[in-house]
Amino acid sequence: MTEEHQRGSRLSVGDRRAVVIGLGALAWLVALLWVFPIGWTVFTSFKTEQDASAQTLHHGLSFGRYGDVTESTTGTLSLQTAFTNSVVVVLVSTFIVLLLAIPAAYALSIRPIHKWRDVLFFFISTKFLPIVASIFPIYVYAQRWNLIGTRTSLIVLYIAINLPLAIWMLHSFFKEVPRELIEAAELDGTNLLNQLRTVILPIVAPGIAATALLCVIFAWNEYFYALQLNFANGSTMPQWVTSNVSTRGNFLAKLSAAAVLACLPVVIAGWAAQKRMIRGLSMGALK
Amino acid sequence: MHEAPERVRRLKGLVVPVVVGAAVVAATFATTAAGKSEAKTISVAIVANGQMQDIAKLTPTLFTAKTGIKVKYTILDEGKLRQVTTRDVGSGGKAFDAVMIGPYEAPQFGSAGLLVDLTSQAKASKAYNYNDLIPAVRNALSAKGHMYASPFYGESSFLMYRKDLLAKAGIKMPLHPTWQQVAATARKIKTSSMAGICLRGKPGWGDLGAAFTTVLNTFGGTWWSAKSNGEPDKAQVDQPAFKQALDFYAKLVQDAGEKDAANSSYNECLTQYQAGKVAMWYDATVAAGFLEASDSPVKGKNGFAFAPHYKTSSTGWLWTWALAIPKSSPDPASAWEYISWATGPQYLKAAGSRVTGGWASIPPGTRFSTYKIPQYKTAAKAFAATTLAAMRAAPITNPGTTKRPGLPGVQYVGIPEFQDVGNRCTQLFSAVIAGSLDSSRALSQCQQIASKAIK
Amino acid sequence: MTATAADVALTKGRTGDPFSSAWRRRLPLLPALLFVIVITQLPFIISIYYSFTDLKDKTQSLIPEPTRFVGFENYRQIFSDPFFREAMWTSVKMTVLSVVLSLVLGTLFALLLDRKFLGRGLIRTLLITPFLLMPVVAALIWKQQMFSSLFGILNKGLNVLGFGSVAFISDHPLASIVTVLVWQWTPFMMLIVLAGLQSQPGEVIEAANVDGASSFGIFRQLTLPHLRRYLELGALLGSIYIVQAFDAIDVMTGGGPGSTNVPYYVYQESIGGGFRYGSASAYAIVVVIFSILIATFALRLLSSLFKDEGRL
Repeated sequence: MTEEHQRGSRLSVGDRRAVVIGLGALAWLVALLWVFPIGWTVFTSFKTEQDASAQTLHHGLSFGRYGDVTESTTGTLSLQTAFTNSVVVVLVSTFIVLLLAIPAAYALSIRPIHKWRDVLFFFISTKFLPIVASIFPIYVYAQRWNLIGTRTSLIVLYIAINLPLAIWMLHSFFKEVPRELIEAAELDGTNLLNQLRTVILPIVAPGIAATALLCVIFAWNEYFYALQLNFANGSTMPQWVTSNVSTRGNFLAKLSAAAVLACLPVVIAGWAAQKRMIRGLSMGALK
Repeated sequence: MHEAPERVRRLKGLVVPVVVGAAVVAATFATTAAGKSEAKTISVAIVANGQMQDIAKLTPTLFTAKTGIKVKYTILDEGKLRQVTTRDVGSGGKAFDAVMIGPYEAPQFGSAGLLVDLTSQAKASKAYNYNDLIPAVRNALSAKGHMYASPFYGESSFLMYRKDLLAKAGIKMPLHPTWQQVAATARKIKTSSMAGICLRGKPGWGDLGAAFTTVLNTFGGTWWSAKSNGEPDKAQVDQPAFKQALDFYAKLVQDAGEKDAANSSYNECLTQYQAGKVAMWYDATVAAGFLEASDSPVKGKNGFAFAPHYKTSSTGWLWTWALAIPKSSPDPASAWEYISWATGPQYLKAAGSRVTGGWASIPPGTRFSTYKIPQYKTAAKAFAATTLAAMRAAPITNPGTTKRPGLPGVQYVGIPEFQDVGNRCTQLFSAVIAGSLDSSRALSQCQQIASKAIK
Repeated sequence: MTATAADVALTKGRTGDPFSSAWRRRLPLLPALLFVIVITQLPFIISIYYSFTDLKDKTQSLIPEPTRFVGFENYRQIFSDPFFREAMWTSVKMTVLSVVLSLVLGTLFALLLDRKFLGRGLIRTLLITPFLLMPVVAALIWKQQMFSSLFGILNKGLNVLGFGSVAFISDHPLASIVTVLVWQWTPFMMLIVLAGLQSQPGEVIEAANVDGASSFGIFRQLTLPHLRRYLELGALLGSIYIVQAFDAIDVMTGGGPGSTNVPYYVYQESIGGGFRYGSASAYAIVVVIFSILIATFALRLLSSLFKDEGRL
């Protein structure tokens, strides 16, 4: 499979310079317009509150708001606490998701069980129950087992919400592993674990990376469960961001600064991994 | 596939550090579960207002240093705070030692037996000075003579106006105006670039609901009629007085009110007033502190009048943010120590010189002694007297022309069903203000909601 | 050939021998399956139980009331609730509009990015950023910076051009929310379609070009069928997440006619203010049943995603 195709002519408008440059310019314009709201928010994060809410620029730009949101008052949720919680919860849950999803995907694709379609459907169907409804039973039991405010409850829940997606995606990547390789490995008598290690995983590695990235994105940005089950020192980044919203007084600049800081890790991860993500998704995943 | 071995090598290289890292991380989280083994730490849930953020900042130096009790704050916005505290208190959760609630919740939760009765401790403490509390505020937080929450911050509502602009138009605003006078003034003074008045329009029982209900009260309307035992009898949204109030309010906003009123609450009106885009503003008394702050563009240009009335004599609302101790609190004794400090007179005296906003931004409206502090009197000269008078006059037991069901309250009805009904109905009313829903339809839908809720 | 062997293997396995082929196939699946069943089905079953009671929060009554069993009363109320019907209709509109628009835009963006030009990687990076933001942050950005009628950028722009301000969120709540959802999900669709485009062999296109086919014809006859699977995957995943959209509504409109979808309505009924857990559970169960029906129809009958035969 060729990497960067020298494909010029899917739209068959030819490779005339004018057209290429024109389309390139159009792409630039579209991209800049599309991310304009984000750029404006970053810009706002450097203003004073008065300038921010009136969209003026009378008082100049500074890192002041960043200082405001990162100064930690003893006893209130600090950036470090929220960040640590988020990192732990996201990494642990994603790791466990992969640990569980890889064998499950194997069982649904390479040596599929008889009712693989039903099982896949079941996994997807677990996402039909609105989480706003299941929150009360979950809350009651989390309370009973003293899990309110701990990272454990979030880790468990995030695994549950990401597992269906991971299984679905991984099963379609696994389907693309060439039969001959699997059969050859089986004829050699290698067991499942080694099969995975030497044959399958290297091929679907980009797909696993893509899946992991999606799990990280969804777990990092999850707000509802975190808000309902975690307070004070158990809070995660989304809660830290919204703690800058106030009902009495302006907060737009501080909120912008907080939002920039909170979204930065996942944005950087996404930027770094996007190529792999496309590769992973395109691994003939759904021929 | 000559790439495979390379990839395998790279993958293998990643596997080990990832596994090790994950194991370390897992071990870390396993050993730091809830961390409640420290000496005397209490958990307090508060709302995200400026005064609350201030006390959170001052707690280590002014409280923990003296008592050794550490305080962990959870700061949430009003809506989320209500959900979290209601659920925690209602299900006997141990997440919080003290919670911040308002006069809507305090008597209800107290009557239901979910809060610790603070009366005896409050009266016994000399430093706390029970009799210093403004009676209207204290009563709003009590049920059957028992105080269930201690007030930290109090506000009523009044009318703020640009006296320079009114003077230029030759209008003098009386100290106790009627709604008709205010409406006429607003319509007269508005220009193409400046609205006559800013009124809340954002859906929510504490947003549009608060402002509108005070208007409803003084127009002789009410949400529900009351049975003799205080329970709600029938929904009264379909009554003429209700329609009159809604039409008056919506029309005033549409004719002379701020742009995009359906999205405006306190914050939006404050911004517009300070930017000179509205000439008058009916809202919380605490706004005065911001309008008269040293960096306010409209400092010195403001007049203050009592909340406009019509068929009743006083109409200002009463709201306080107060600290209560849930019955399931893990450490009620430390919680009370904290509360008596945070809501006691000494904090107010100590805060004035320490908070960023200065004396004008200490928590107002809870105690008489606040209004006797010389520095506060100077800093808040323009509005302190009117605020105090408004707080004392708030008609919490008899806000309208008819008997209310439930516990006392001005801008809400003291029954648990009101929160949901208020939220849903104000969404309809907000659409009326935006002009996208006809008021008769909104009222009939709201009547359905209100009737169903009390069945 | 191999198929026959596989069939034989399957038939052999079905006889229930614990170390037979069938059980060995199931084993890797079990940890994930058990985990999901325990964590998701238990709350589901408890919700079913609650839906037959009148459970509400203790703070909702001034004198403690015990929870009573009410049979199908909650369900009966649902079917006479006009606001729930409105919420369902809003859900349908919101989901369909958001998914279709983001698919179309995503495909257009992917086509635009399909050829090499200066800075293509950077543009792709910029374009995917909205998907990486927290939904709460995205909604706040649009609400405060873009849509605000006083100080929002869009209105400032309109004013400069001589038009009056538009109260986007108040006057067009559904469109505002769909805008934010599309803004966030288009990059996701774009990535999927890009993957689809890159997996299409270039030789086929070149051959068609040589044969003199028009660009639109190539797209319609060759590319689009190839992309069908990818578009379906995007639509499936997008729908699953967008139908549960919550944060945008909470932040931008707080509910209200025209923008309350089903999850938000259920939320209002339960911890969002109603605190009527029994009744809210009944709503949730109805929603699940509906979703399963729709998904079964869509996936089994319409989609090609399930049409692969099993392998080995």
